[in-house]
Amino acid sequence: MIQGMVQGNREKGNRLPEITFVESLRMTLKEEMERDPSLMLIGEDIGRYGGIFGVTRGLLEEFGFHRVRSTPISESAIIGSALGAAMTGVRTVAEIMYVDFTTCAMDQIVNQVAKMSYMSGGKAKVPLVIRTQEGGGRGNAAQHSQSLEALFLHIPGLKIVMPSTPYDARGLLKTAIRDDNPVMFIEHKLLYATKGLIPDGEYLIPLGQADLKRKGKDATIVTISYMVTKALKAAARLAEEGIEAEVIDLRTLVPLDMDTLLQSVHKTNRVVIVHEGCRRGGIGAEITSRIQEEAFDYLDAPIERVGALDVPIPYSEPLENAVIPDEEDIVRAVKKVLYMA
Amino acid sequence: MATTVIMPKLGLTMTEGTIERWLKEEGDRVEKGEPLLEIITEKINFQYESPASGILRKILYHEGEAVAVATPIAIIAEEGEALPEFAAMKPEVPLEAPGPAAVEREIKEPSKRIFVSPIAKKIAQEKGIDLASLKGSGPGGRIIKIDVLKAGEKVLAEEVRPPIPAREPHGKLIPLKGIRKIIARRMTESFQNIPHFYLSLEVDMSAVQDLRERLKDEVEKRAKVRLTLTDILVKVAASGLKDHPIINSRIDGDQIHLLDEINIGVAIALEDGLIVPVVHHADQKSLAEIASTLRDLTQRAREGKLSLEDVGGGTFTLSNMGMLGIDKFSAIINPPECSILGVGRTIEKPVVQGGEIRIKPMAWFSLSSDHRIVDGATAALFLNHIRKIIENPALLLI
Amino acid sequence: MALQTDKILCLKMYEQMLTIRRFEEKAIELFEHNLIRGNIHPCIGQEAVSVGACSPLRREDFMVNTHRGHGNCIAKGADLKLMMAELLGKSTGYCKGKGGSMHIADFEGGNLGANGIVGGGLPIAVGAGVSIQNRGTDQVVACFFGDGATNQGTFHESLNLAALWKLPVIFLCENNLYALSTPVREAISVSKISDRAMAYGIPGMSLDGNDVLEVYAKMREAVERARAGEGPALLDCVTYRFFGHFTGDPGKGITYRSKEEMDQWLDRCPIKRLRERLIKEKGLTGEMEKTMEAKVKATIEEAVQFANESPFPPPEEATQDVFCP
Repeated sequence: MIQGMVQGNREKGNRLPEITFVESLRMTLKEEMERDPSLMLIGEDIGRYGGIFGVTRGLLEEFGFHRVRSTPISESAIIGSALGAAMTGVRTVAEIMYVDFTTCAMDQIVNQVAKMSYMSGGKAKVPLVIRTQEGGGRGNAAQHSQSLEALFLHIPGLKIVMPSTPYDARGLLKTAIRDDNPVMFIEHKLLYATKGLIPDGEYLIPLGQADLKRKGKDATIVTISYMVTKALKAAARLAEEGIEAEVIDLRTLVPLDMDTLLQSVHKTNRVVIVHEGCRRGGIGAEITSRIQEEAFDYLDAPIERVGALDVPIPYSEPLENAVIPDEEDIVRAVKKVLYMA
Repeated sequence: MATTVIMPKLGLTMTEGTIERWLKEEGDRVEKGEPLLEIITEKINFQYESPASGILRKILYHEGEAVAVATPIAIIAEEGEALPEFAAMKPEVPLEAPGPAAVEREIKEPSKRIFVSPIAKKIAQEKGIDLASLKGSGPGGRIIKIDVLKAGEKVLAEEVRPPIPAREPHGKLIPLKGIRKIIARRMTESFQNIPHFYLSLEVDMSAVQDLRERLKDEVEKRAKVRLTLTDILVKVAASGLKDHPIINSRIDGDQIHLLDEINIGVAIALEDGLIVPVVHHADQKSLAEIASTLRDLTQRAREGKLSLEDVGGGTFTLSNMGMLGIDKFSAIINPPECSILGVGRTIEKPVVQGGEIRIKPMAWFSLSSDHRIVDGATAALFLNHIRKIIENPALLLI
Repeated sequence: MALQTDKILCLKMYEQMLTIRRFEEKAIELFEHNLIRGNIHPCIGQEAVSVGACSPLRREDFMVNTHRGHGNCIAKGADLKLMMAELLGKSTGYCKGKGGSMHIADFEGGNLGANGIVGGGLPIAVGAGVSIQNRGTDQVVACFFGDGATNQGTFHESLNLAALWKLPVIFLCENNLYALSTPVREAISVSKISDRAMAYGIPGMSLDGNDVLEVYAKMREAVERARAGEGPALLDCVTYRFFGHFTGDPGKGITYRSKEEMDQWLDRCPIKRLRERLIKEKGLTGEMEKTMEAKVKATIEEAVQFANESPFPPPEEATQDVFCP
């Protein structure tokens, strides 16, 4: 009896209680491709190989070549053709293997994808999701470890989504795919193997809705993607010293959930923004500005930003660790805004 | 060769000392061995002698400043001799960060600009608190939320009048320094960290008063001092501790350390604060010896001549506030000890004994104890034992 | 083709190929022991392209390299100790531990660096060609890239410009028939990569990348042309990698390549082939082989020891070298 139930669960799409981030993405793509018969995937090694992290495993076999297109190494061509297809009726999810390689397709992303609707006075619809992954911590060195969301933040016309859990990934990817606008869906290489609970059945998470991952009263930690994990660990350490930090997972950068942020700032009067991108010109700079503009009177201390050092990511382990923010940096920053450091 | 005078380490656990008073000025000639300055540490006021002869060329830290052990505090050299590099730097200038701190200092002195965080300003406005009356605890003297909230509580507590602008009542400012600062810190530490509980009972002092009358002449002959009630109490306490070793202990991490020595500290009120010199091995001393020791310690305390040994190693403290007219009080434990015994005034009172009303000299004895080490019952046994001995001092012979 | 090249050169090339093979094997071993981070991309099987192409080069000639570039580095004269130290992330490595496997550069030896971006090095090679032209020297540039890069925009832009300006750049395609899991027939619009030379008006040829002597001969011709100012060429060296794309590729790339194909190519192993010819035509003895193996082993062991004994860079170094003084 139980055997049959488990089997049935697997057939329904592997809806086991705790699944990996990769599996969450994979089953979501599958469901959306079943739902929309025009939905196409395009990217490098996504077909038979199943993608280097396994996100598209089995999809070529199920949906065929036209809908799961493995390309040569041609980032410009990948993005450009994804755009053309999306504009002419084929909703597309394009994959760029490492966010570092989006730079090879910057003209297509910045000048074409982001601006097509605007330049045509709204006549062109671009139902396109560009999936990619970022982040360091594994010794992949300077050209394979970056966090470049700040670049895209600066380009009007691109939405940016960065989930931190399998639950968030699923709900946000569905929304992103069904959105008729270009969405940069940035995953993190260190999150792929992480596990989480997802409920049975479908659910969508709207873009522009932050998630309160930990309630607190002494300081607000604003963060996103893999740094959410580190922030929660830092908050646990701080709690041992009697400091209760509130951790807000932004989940999307564009659109940005200011309401949740402001509510928290009104309560704690102290903000620490944590991101993996370089501190200089990182997303923290923009968020800091917004908070001080809209909640100036509620601040008890200057807003602290925790980001990577302003250098390329080095290869050697002690150097990489020195560059990428860790729990210790977050703990220190929280204590600083509490005048305890 | 210039000699650098450093803040000396005067005791095993000393980490910093406060400069109480320089006894020489810059430019004065000093001789090796001459008293150079007074230093206050944890427990005592210490006169430090000059380690070299020469001219006191430079004083690096001034009166009232707290300095870490081994930090250079002065330079002694002959006229014209080269001074070590750090002496050239003025102590006021912060050694690490240039720029902002220095600039802020410049700004602070001449102009009257108040630095305040936005939320602090907002709260101050709402509560009608005058920012000019506050001292900020943030960097560069910035007034922050906690400063304003504290001031707000003070305002409420003092029931001050109309909203804008409410001002702090005027008065004299006495900085917390020296002994007062140390007592403030230690008592706060004790009160916050040790779970105190208090037991009290009234003791019939007639037997012990009688004892004193009968022994005082003999003691005076031997020890050249007058026998006091406190001397007897020390002996009683020592005896009691012998039978109740759990009280003669201290907590050490998650272990209770039962101590071998019985060293009883006696609280003495000086002009500028409380000091607790210790009668070491009180259980091994005779009444005459205790009286003599205690009188000597008291004298030296009044003269500021106590050493670290005199105030260290205590295992139990006795505080007699009877002569200050206090009937009953709950003392704060002297850390790291387990208990403290507070003794009140002896008053003639009617008490019922054996069904009849008698007039007896009674005194309140209050024991404050650390609940981590002892429970009520244990402490009660000890306190009752003390009463038993006092009401029947012959028990001291056993 | 008969072994017209002289014996000393042949033995030298053989020893170099052996060094590359053993170096890669050692690197894989160190990776499995978690001493090398990230990933490495072994060039086992492709040694003939590296050695054949770099042998005609002078020390001052430039080279632009790929992520699979350990072999090219060694063939261009790199110090194994410094290479190994770089792989282990030590401060004594070629890039002070900051680059890692994919970014090893040795400027004094003309090595302008490996690149982690496919096709990322081609425009850089073109730039080096321009500089040679402006400075009026007779240096050349060897530009290595894989079959995958020939579809990258940078390939086309670079060949076009090099041809236009007659730059002394030899475009060397290390065509191992697969870009990660994608075979050339599913990625390249022409049947031979060398056909693309025609689109840019430059000479192009496809050759047996596992015959070190053929690669050497053709490279020498191309280098002489380039030195004489006659412009670029495209050499499509067909070879095969015996390992997966990178150290994370399951089953050494068996998920997208057949065992038959692998066996066929193993049979054409470049080291095996040269060895057979050396034994037959140049008197290579078992004794000489043993000596050579021992020497190569010792050199590699020395390199590993040097790397192991070298310190890690201190964390303060992370913020240095963003700009030069």
